[in-house]
Amino acid sequence: MVATEEPAVTEAPPATEEAPVATEEEEETVIRIATPNTVSTLDPIKSAAAGDIQVFGQLYSRLLKATPDGSELLPGLAERWEQSEDQTVWTFYLRDGLKFSDGIPLTAEDVVFSFLRLRDHEGSVYSGPFQPIKDVEALDEKTVRFTLDGPAAPFFGSVEMFNAGIVPKHAVEEMGEEEFAKMPVVSGPYMVREWLPNDRLIMERNPYYWREGYPKIDVVEFIEVPNDNTRVSMISTGEIDVAVSVPWANIEELDQRDDIDVPLDPSTVIEVVLLNHKDPMLSDVRVRKAIAMALDVDNITKTVTFGKATRANSPLPNSLLYYDPDLPAIPYDPDQAKQLLEEAGAMGKKLELMMVSGSAITEQIHLLMQNQLTAVGFEVTIKQVDLGTWWDLLVGGEYQAAASWWYNETPDPDLAVRWALCGTCGSDSFYTFYVNEEIDRLADEAVKEVDPQKRAELYHRIQQIALDEVAQIPLYYPPYTNAYSTAIQGLMMNPAIQWSLEEATITR
Amino acid sequence: MADQLTTGKAPAIAKVVATRRGRLPFLTILGAGIVLAWALVAIFAPFLSPYDPIATDFNAILQPMSRAHPLGTDSLGHDMLAQIIYGTRVDLSMGLIGVAAPFVIGIIIGIIGGYFGGLLDTLLMRLLDIALAFPFIVLVLAIVAILGPGLKNYYIALAIVAWVPYARLVRAETLVLRNLEFVEAARVLGYDSFYIIVRHVLPNAITPAAVFLMTDIVLTILLGSGLSFYGLGAQPPTPEWGRLIAQGQTYISQAWWISVFPGIAIVLMALGFTLLGDGLAKQLKVRQ
Amino acid sequence: MKKINLILQRFWQIIPVLLGISIITFLLAHSIPGDPVRLILGPRAPQDVIDAVRQQYGLDEPVLTQYFIYLRNLVRGDWGQSIAFKTPVLELVLLRFTPTLYLLIGGLVFSIIPTLVLSILGSANPDGWLDQTIRVFYTVGLGLPSYWLALVLVLIFAIRSGWLPATGFGNNIKEHISHMILPWATVSMVMTPILTRNLRATLMEKQDADFVIAGLSKGLPRYYIFWRHILPNSVLPSLHLLGVIVLYILGSSIVIEPIFAIPGLGQLYIRSVIGRDYYVIQAMTLVFSLITVTATLAVDVLTLIIDPRIK
Repeated sequence: MVATEEPAVTEAPPATEEAPVATEEEEETVIRIATPNTVSTLDPIKSAAAGDIQVFGQLYSRLLKATPDGSELLPGLAERWEQSEDQTVWTFYLRDGLKFSDGIPLTAEDVVFSFLRLRDHEGSVYSGPFQPIKDVEALDEKTVRFTLDGPAAPFFGSVEMFNAGIVPKHAVEEMGEEEFAKMPVVSGPYMVREWLPNDRLIMERNPYYWREGYPKIDVVEFIEVPNDNTRVSMISTGEIDVAVSVPWANIEELDQRDDIDVPLDPSTVIEVVLLNHKDPMLSDVRVRKAIAMALDVDNITKTVTFGKATRANSPLPNSLLYYDPDLPAIPYDPDQAKQLLEEAGAMGKKLELMMVSGSAITEQIHLLMQNQLTAVGFEVTIKQVDLGTWWDLLVGGEYQAAASWWYNETPDPDLAVRWALCGTCGSDSFYTFYVNEEIDRLADEAVKEVDPQKRAELYHRIQQIALDEVAQIPLYYPPYTNAYSTAIQGLMMNPAIQWSLEEATITR
Repeated sequence: MADQLTTGKAPAIAKVVATRRGRLPFLTILGAGIVLAWALVAIFAPFLSPYDPIATDFNAILQPMSRAHPLGTDSLGHDMLAQIIYGTRVDLSMGLIGVAAPFVIGIIIGIIGGYFGGLLDTLLMRLLDIALAFPFIVLVLAIVAILGPGLKNYYIALAIVAWVPYARLVRAETLVLRNLEFVEAARVLGYDSFYIIVRHVLPNAITPAAVFLMTDIVLTILLGSGLSFYGLGAQPPTPEWGRLIAQGQTYISQAWWISVFPGIAIVLMALGFTLLGDGLAKQLKVRQ
Repeated sequence: MKKINLILQRFWQIIPVLLGISIITFLLAHSIPGDPVRLILGPRAPQDVIDAVRQQYGLDEPVLTQYFIYLRNLVRGDWGQSIAFKTPVLELVLLRFTPTLYLLIGGLVFSIIPTLVLSILGSANPDGWLDQTIRVFYTVGLGLPSYWLALVLVLIFAIRSGWLPATGFGNNIKEHISHMILPWATVSMVMTPILTRNLRATLMEKQDADFVIAGLSKGLPRYYIFWRHILPNSVLPSLHLLGVIVLYILGSSIVIEPIFAIPGLGQLYIRSVIGRDYYVIQAMTLVFSLITVTATLAVDVLTLIIDPRIK
């Protein structure tokens, strides 16, 4: 229910004693979610970490809104839009009566402000997708026009991204960036009630949310619980309603319960083995192929995830657009692997696997890899370091092989390719230092290609090349392992790490 | 000990502790026996262990105790009994090697500070204060983080910070010894400091350090396994007990044996050294 | 007069110690490889953004310069900013102080009381069956790894039986207490053996002291001698143990709080080391050292005051 009376207009963000709209007789409905991720800031452009991404979507509305499963883009703050023939000019028309959580109207000025900030602010962490925007202007109070450098296929999807939430120009300018990031004025279904950093974030319904009748649940609590077991025991005792990311080993036992469900919704996560192409031994494609063939990926997948994940065939996650399901995976062939090693003169050589401490899964994968790689003739050692050191060594190219994972924040493959397979795009192919100019070229072509079929071809070629050259070794595609209390209906997390919280309901 | 007067050595500085009627030797022997037993397990591990500790078995994942696997298996099918047996080698050597450098360094520093006094000693005391007030865990964590993980660097970190208790004990003892008559006499007679230290001070000052050594072995094992628990100590697949406990955390509700048994092993090994240490203390009549 | 001088002396000694700790921590923390900004912005942050944020925090200045800036701010009451949470460090510390305080106080109480009880019971009747049982208990207890004990207690009392909450801190005092029971039990079971062993040894020692023999020859009953003479005389040599307990509980909070998901200083400490949150690391080290030093000083002062031998 949306408040029908206008509260007194305030410049400051709403005080927490403003009534949420539950009627007097009913208590607030609260949903408690335990997550291992931390919330580090409430300013949507300042972070691209998972813990923040999931929260930004609840605090800020975008021009478009995705369906709960992320498959379709529907009108959000914009009720309709038009694009030019060559797809370089996009015009969005905002709905009537939009307001921020402090009651101040949301206009095209705010949209312009938000996107310029997104594109130009030096603290904007994920501004890449918005660089093609040459110009964004407010034609009137309710109309925004984007002019792009050239056709950009991912643009439409980027408008819905987690950091493209619309922020209030007046609040950011008055409060200053730092204060805004702690207690923002918002445009999404929920607003901030209380934020205790490193502990919990409590959000309550935003009475000015544009969507009538939503959100259904009054209060959302994100509780930070880094320990896996703790989250499992919390949901087992009913202390929380949703446990994000439960360990593979606990899924069966939780799912079998009548009061808990583990639906294993698709994510865009992919587990891979990174190989350092700068390493003299690994720069030889035969050695890389040998490693790929030495690994019994089916076995690893089955053992580590208890069969809950799908073995990966392509270096791109399977829920991305233009993922190629027909690409044949590198087969498990230890004999062939030995042969290749002999050919390349790498038989008996040392191989060090670098892993992050603190995860049983990671350890398992590395132990299995060690066994299988030793079996074909490598002398394998494992080096376990903490996260900070791991990144340091990775970025500096001071490692040989490491199993890790990555995910993409949108279903569009452009950013994924630039992140993981492009050697000249800033991330050195996820720090494998793999460089293939053809892939880079194809990626540039594909981002401008608006015909879906042609685009598909381009991305298929990219995947094929990357696989042939063993840029990385794909292991498996893990689904989300969130556990939900059956008292909750309609809640899921889509592949872009966005919750469908506003549609969710609880029956206790 | 009774002959010390005739040989010119001072009686070991002692506070008389009431003797335990007949209890004294038994517990000490028990302690020695336990330690010996572990040492044997470590030496004869390949013969005692039913499996290769790093051999995986995908048909026997997370199995509870059974005839085939008396202590169960872990998430990759490793046999727990095998891992614990081979882990004895790691933990026992960790305790013994880890105390070596601190023991030596601490004694040297303690004697020098206590004997020579003055500025050196004051500096030493400040250093001790700092080291004492500093959260020890954090210091070790930081050093290991800088040097990199692994038991070797753990020993280095220990050498840098763990000598403090020894230095304190030895310094206190040295201060008393220094003023004893026979030392005064030796000085007057013109013996040089080095000789006095080595022949007279050292053998006696070392006593409290030697007793603390046993306790320290226990502490070193506990800290080292704790470090491995955090992934900064023994590297996989080394079957170090602390690492095994950490591994079992994820499966604590379905496969509690993975975490519980290695912990029991730690307690039993610690028991041996503690009993031995207590017995030693009583024998040497030193107050801990 | 001399006593007061001694006390003042101890006071002055604190400052160089804390300063030394402060510098060493700063240098150490900055020598550990790893970039806090990259860790907090997420893996996809481009290098130029990381560089911009680093500059904001002044992380590219030479380390010593950074230290002096830090010191200058500290004197003004500014403890710096947490890179991870973009909030002032002081705020963070105050926020998380309470749970650790609960741990400390509860840990103290539940260690000291059992220690007193067991030591007295044991030494009252040396080598009796009670004494021997107690000795077995603390000998075994000395070898308990705290992290393992915590897991076992959680397994038995929370997971298997559901009597107590496994983790977290709760939302009101009653809940706080129920959530702290297992952590207190862990601290107690690890600390009590050490303390009992020590106290009992002291008590036993005093059994043969002159005043005991004198009392016995006067025909005074054993228990009278015990309570009026042995016990009070044992207090002085045992005081330093208080310092030990505080030090230990603080140190173990780093291990125990994460396992029990208690949002206290220990958990903050370990998170900040892993996340290279430099100013939080500094603050935490300062807080821990300060508490330790204060406790040690308090004990020293107390000892000085009580000790009749020093005038």
